[in-house]
Amino acid sequence: MRDTAVSRFARVPPVSLFAMTTDELETLLAQQPVALLHRLARGRVHRHFRAGKRRLIELLLQHSSQNRAGLESDLQTLIGERHSQSESGSSSVHHLPAITPKKASPRGTEPESAETAISLSGWLEGLGVPSPQPFVPDSWQNEALSALNETDVVISVPTGSGKTYVAVEAARRAMEDNRTVIYTSPLKALSNTKYTEFSRIFGPDTVGILTGDRQENGQAPLLIMTTEILRNLLYDAASGEIDVRLDTLGLVILDESQYLADPERGVVWEETIIFCPSQARLLLLSASIGNPQDIADWLTSIRSTVCRLVRHSKRTVPLRAGYLHPNGKLTPLFRTLGIPYGHPTHLHPETKRLFLEYEEETLPSGRPRR
Amino acid sequence: MPPSIHPVDLITALRQKHLTPAIVFLTSRRACDEAMETFDHADLVLPPARQEAIAVALERITVQHPSIAEHPLIPLVRRIGIAAHHAGHLPSWKIAIEELMRQGHLDAVFATTTLAAGVDFPARTVVITQSSIRKSRDFTDLTIGEVQQIAGRAGRRGKDHVGFAIVTPSPYIDLAVLTKGLTGQPEAINSQFTISYPMVLNLLKAHPHEQIQGILAKSFAQFQLNQRAELLEQKLDALHVQMEPFGPRVCTDWITQWHTFDHARRHRHMRHQTHRSESPEISARLPFLTPGRVVGLGRGRGIVLRQYRSKGQKNSMLTVLRPDSAVTECPVTGVKEVYDRTYDCAETPTYPWCSTDTFDRLSHQLEELPSHVPVLPILVSLGIEPLPDAIVQSLGDFPCPTCPSRPACQKDFATASRLRQEQQRHTKSIQALRTSLWHRFQERVEVLQQFGYLTPATQLTIDGEWARLIRIDHSLLITELIRAEAFTGADPSLLAGVLASLAHDDDRPGAFPRISPGLSSLLGQVRKLAESLSPYEDPPLLRADVAALVERWVADPTLTWIGLCRLTTMAEGDIYRLLARTLEFLSQVQTLKVTHPGLAESASQAITLIRRGVLEELP
Ligand SMILES: Nc1ncnc2c1ncn2[C@@H]1O[C@H](COP(=O)(O)OP(=O)(O)O)[C@@H](O)[C@H]1O
Repeated sequence: MRDTAVSRFARVPPVSLFAMTTDELETLLAQQPVALLHRLARGRVHRHFRAGKRRLIELLLQHSSQNRAGLESDLQTLIGERHSQSESGSSSVHHLPAITPKKASPRGTEPESAETAISLSGWLEGLGVPSPQPFVPDSWQNEALSALNETDVVISVPTGSGKTYVAVEAARRAMEDNRTVIYTSPLKALSNTKYTEFSRIFGPDTVGILTGDRQENGQAPLLIMTTEILRNLLYDAASGEIDVRLDTLGLVILDESQYLADPERGVVWEETIIFCPSQARLLLLSASIGNPQDIADWLTSIRSTVCRLVRHSKRTVPLRAGYLHPNGKLTPLFRTLGIPYGHPTHLHPETKRLFLEYEEETLPSGRPRR
Repeated sequence: MPPSIHPVDLITALRQKHLTPAIVFLTSRRACDEAMETFDHADLVLPPARQEAIAVALERITVQHPSIAEHPLIPLVRRIGIAAHHAGHLPSWKIAIEELMRQGHLDAVFATTTLAAGVDFPARTVVITQSSIRKSRDFTDLTIGEVQQIAGRAGRRGKDHVGFAIVTPSPYIDLAVLTKGLTGQPEAINSQFTISYPMVLNLLKAHPHEQIQGILAKSFAQFQLNQRAELLEQKLDALHVQMEPFGPRVCTDWITQWHTFDHARRHRHMRHQTHRSESPEISARLPFLTPGRVVGLGRGRGIVLRQYRSKGQKNSMLTVLRPDSAVTECPVTGVKEVYDRTYDCAETPTYPWCSTDTFDRLSHQLEELPSHVPVLPILVSLGIEPLPDAIVQSLGDFPCPTCPSRPACQKDFATASRLRQEQQRHTKSIQALRTSLWHRFQERVEVLQQFGYLTPATQLTIDGEWARLIRIDHSLLITELIRAEAFTGADPSLLAGVLASLAHDDDRPGAFPRISPGLSSLLGQVRKLAESLSPYEDPPLLRADVAALVERWVADPTLTWIGLCRLTTMAEGDIYRLLARTLEFLSQVQTLKVTHPGLAESASQAITLIRRGVLEELP
């Protein structure tokens, strides 16, 4: 089947490709393995991975009514690529038509660049345990802490950057000032972990935890609770029934603030922020999100001080991505050592080949697996 | 080749390349447990010294969390240095695994992606085996933020020079989702603000009605709505500029004038044909049968792609997208139901009457439409009659035919009218954006007034005063039950059972103990009330089986945790969560000490009875 497709190409000169009849195009598409169709469909067909082969072809044809040339040229590129991969170097490559994907394919797959891809050993290099270093706060951590003296702060940094250090230091400073601190997390399980961690750092008498039916050390200067519990406290305070000393409250730390976007519970973060007493500083800790400036601007618009945004998107420990084939073969996922930000298609050629093989084998009849 | 790598091979490969410790994210709890089972007979045993270290560490953790002492997984974890960590486990077990991981005793943990946010321990490597996760009942692609949250667990500061995220394929994977997730910018987050009944009561308790709009304006929701409104306002400004050439002419509002004239002119032309026009019911529907509207037809549902008139047909016709991407034509009379749901639809002048992207999207949206979609109420007004004859006859008196600016008006009308329509649309949208929260608040206020929690002057009534303390899901149902005295005389186990069935929102099937007659009849009452409240509040699942389970736990203090687990096929972690959620609900009822002392007392007894064994260990 593969051969038919190729020899068909061998006979048809490239120019006439852009003048295929719909029937011809359909036949050619039908001859391709479904994995190739999926690749062709990326960016063209919404949720293509759910469609079967028949349906995919239909959708591709429908789409091509708008950009026929683009589709045909991408198809040609993919067929050529497949062919040169499966018989790399062999003579049959020569009778393939010249492929010029850049010209006619607006979102075709990336051409293999001349630069060589990273090797596995290169990719694994540097793995290991760093020698112990004295603890020096990062500049963003210092920036956040000094900003907190004056204003509310929103922090949006990648997971694992060290938000806890800022929370702990900020809490320490507030308590040294004889102010109380509330720290909230979205999950009871996380509250428990933090309770243990903070008790270890500040001593068990300094830290308390509140749940709906229980208080442990409820009068401690540093209280841990879920955001829902704090919201309830704030409502009680607003209607004059105070349970916990909110007048001395100096700092409210909302961890995992990206929960603001949770469909069911996000509203609780909004209520908490809206009703947070104005004399208390707000510290929002969030994983990387797309619009942290919006959050900071929002806080500025409703609070008495100008909220400061501290953000960065660079991971402290660099990340490398790999691909592990079911047969146990490990390859780098991308062509570069690090993550090629902004270039999702810069796949390692070896990985590309292995994954293509995998898709073909697991989707033999074009039947979607879901 | 197997569809995905064998867990033993996976761990072997990771160990060989020094990529441990690793967190392996799998699709489901079952996948995690099955992965663990594959090690039962594998010959991957840790050296004795490491086994000993795990045992010692576990003993230390057991001091604080005695419930893990006899955990059946301990021997396996100790032997292979690998564990599973998912929501089916008790919190104390998860704490133990996290602690072992933090101390560096484990080589790998199998975890579920759903809990990526709750996994608070890092590793050198994360392994990703899927590109979508189950959210409520559907699988959705991981967002960029979620992929980065998962990858964020890789690489421990101070312990690793680099971290690794390794993708290994399974039939569930779309590689593009993951590569995009790893290389992209996380998505912007959007407000999910909703106005609940307790929110309204609490706001009105503390603030006078006229201040509320200002408070709602402080929400992130309003902040984002304002952003959109401001964008539209800029467009509106641009439109004003574009409209300048079309200002007043011989008549001030020549656009409307021309519109009326033009309409009447054409109408006269078609007058003799108006007999074929539809009944008032049908014509009232016409404005709603626009592209993107979901409709019910004789068989199944569809999405309207266009509405048109065809010469030979008596009625207006529709082109409708049907399941399996079929496109059919049918007369408007064939529409059985107009649903309160429309999707965006980029129209095109040729078949299939919308852009390909729209077509694909609509096809999927149609497939994924929930089985129940509310019907759109349509007012049938008999007043939408064709233009009165008087106007048509007086057409000769219309100024337009003789007006000096007629040629200019005729030429400009199309553009000017389109611009004006756009202006009107934007103005309306801006207004909606600025006031929608307030309207939603008012809707809630009206319901609360209807039920007697608020006075007509929006003060809290006696019932409103205590009802505002119930700040959980299904609050209206709970407060209505209390008012109906459904719980009067109910002992703690009945109360806990009912609240459990309200608190439990998981529909995972399972086998459960028998329910007592008392609880059964009480649940019947709850169900009836929930149904009658359904226009105002989504009814809960109200599973009798989970209610029975909690009832048993509260009613029988001699029942051990193991005994409780044996009564059901539910996982330990789920039972724990069920009881914890029930505690949350009970603790709210417990706050009604002043107004409902008996009920509050019953709730506080139930809390004490629930809090035993495993549930005693954590705050
Ligand atoms: N300035 C720093 N220098 C070295 N290590 C740090 C620094 N800040 C934080 N860490 C370490 O980084 C790790 C991750 O920090 P954590 O606060 O858990 O991350 P986050 O909460 O941002 O996900 C912790 O082990 C912490 O001790």
